[in-house]
Formats: sequence, structure tokens, C-alpha cells
Amino acid sequence: MTRAIVVYLKSTAISHAMSMSPFLWPICEMLHFIGLALLIGGAGLMDLRLMGAFKSIPVSAVMQVRKWAALGVAINVVTGTLFFVGAPDQYINNPAWYGKLLFLLVAMINVAVFETTQGKKMLNVAGGEDTPVSFKVAGAVSMGSWFLVLYFGRMLPFLGNAF
Amino acid sequence: MTELLASIEASPFSTWLRESPSVWAYPTVLTLHTLGLGVLVGANWMVDLRVLGFARAIPLGVLARAFPIMWAGFWLNAATGALLFVADPTKATTTIFMWKLAIIAVGVALILLLKSKAYGRGVEMDRATAGVKAIAALSLAAWIAAIATGRWMAYVA
Repeated sequence: MTRAIVVYLKSTAISHAMSMSPFLWPICEMLHFIGLALLIGGAGLMDLRLMGAFKSIPVSAVMQVRKWAALGVAINVVTGTLFFVGAPDQYINNPAWYGKLLFLLVAMINVAVFETTQGKKMLNVAGGEDTPVSFKVAGAVSMGSWFLVLYFGRMLPFLGNAF
Repeated sequence: MTELLASIEASPFSTWLRESPSVWAYPTVLTLHTLGLGVLVGANWMVDLRVLGFARAIPLGVLARAFPIMWAGFWLNAATGALLFVADPTKATTTIFMWKLAIIAVGVALILLLKSKAYGRGVEMDRATAGVKAIAALSLAAWIAAIATGRWMAYVA
């Protein structure tokens, strides 16, 4: 099954372009790290406020940086998919890759659950006000899982088959 | 110079950093270097973007507290960067590494400039002047260039 997926992906034009071009892969790496910084900046500020830091900013105001985190995630999902299609055999049997995907999923579910159940409450936390425990938990889970996404991403060449 | 670099490379610490199978050697240093990059650039970009007029609901004055976060990221990367240098000193002879260091120096100078121009007067204005906006735009671009040269080092050295 995984063999068939690898063979198919490697036969695609995108995969050929990623592995043959001397520039495409490095450019995607640069974009991937730019996305990483946008994500840490945007999500980090939001998470810190949810956890009770930067109290003087109303939560409704700090929510405005979420779009930068979302842009970072979007850039990295696109470039990450290009890496996978470009060299699927470097990832498909790599334990670090599964660790990365697992905590990416945890981070996404955390955002989805928090936004749907607590989204309206966020608008009511004014400047100077502390956050409820549910906010602190969501902020900590977000920060922890994004760190693990970064950790397992960086471990891709070390825990699995090196490249 | 080459002799000095060669003796660093031959030292037991350099060899351990480079060749040890332990995750506490090269992999941990590299992970922390990536984390420091994200913290420094991420915090700096949030202030830059706010200065440029995005996310206006956030008071500019409060973001003065993002500067210690930037410095934490900077010092983490100065330390881990020094370790990466010890592990592989020949990389320091590449032109791209010189560019990377020069661009980081510009990025750091822009942090100091932004802090003194946007926050130096004691009273923070919620609308930045054109000059402060220019600093923020340059800062945004400098870190893109620093990331680009840093990543490029993996392909030339």
C-alpha cells in the first residue's frame, strides 16, 4: 500500500520538479522557515495571552494576530506537501514524520475545539482581565503541540532515514 | 585562520557535537537554533506588522514587552550558533555565512532602532511615524533575507 503511494507520487510532474530542480527544494525550505516564524509569532502571542500573559491587551484585540499564524500554517502545509510529494520515501517510513503529523493534528483539533466552544467567550475578556482555566489549558496545549511539531520536523533526518 | 579552524574541528568537543549519535549533540543544538529563530523573528515580525498598521486593536505600547522575548531568542541563537560553528567551522569560510552574519547584524541594529524610535520617548504613539514604519519594513525584509541565507548554507557548504 505505502509502496504504491510512493511509486505513484514519484511518477508525478511535481515530484520530478522537486527532485530535479536545484532551486525548488531550497526555496520551499526558506518558505517553510518563514512560515514557521509567522506561526510562532502569531500563535505564540495568542497562546501567551490565553495563558494569562500580556493581560493589558483585550483577548478580542490579540485575536487579530491569528491570521498571521494561519498564514504561517498555510505556507507550511503547502511547502510540506511539496516535500512529501518530492521525496515520499524519506517520510513514509520515518517515525519523526508520524510524530510531526500527530502533533499537527493535536494542534489543529485544539484550535477547532477551542474556537467552537469558547470562541464567543474570547470577545468578553477585556484588557487587564485574567483568562478562565479553559483558555489557559488551550493556550498551553497549543504551545506544547506546536513545539513538538517543530521538534519532530527538525528530527526528520536524525530519528528516521537521513537525507 | 585555516589552522585555527582545523584545530577547532579536531577538538574532542567539536567531534562529539558533530559525530555523537546522542540526540543531545547536533540534533538538540539544531532544534534549539530553529526554536530561537522562530521566537526572535516571530516576536519581531508581530511588532513590525503592528507598526505597519495591521492588528490596530493591539495597543502599540504593550508590545514593548515583546522585546525581551526577541532578546531571549537572539541569545539562544547566538549560543547555539556558536556551538554549530564549533561543530563545523569550515562552514564559516563560506561567503554565504558572511552574508548571513552581516544580515543578522542589520536585523539586530533594526531591533535597537525600532525600540528607541517607537518606544524611546516614554509615551508610545498608537500611530507610528513614516520613519518608524520604514524601520519595521526593513526589519521584516532583513529577517526574510537572514532565513534565506541560513537555509541556503545547507546546500552550498
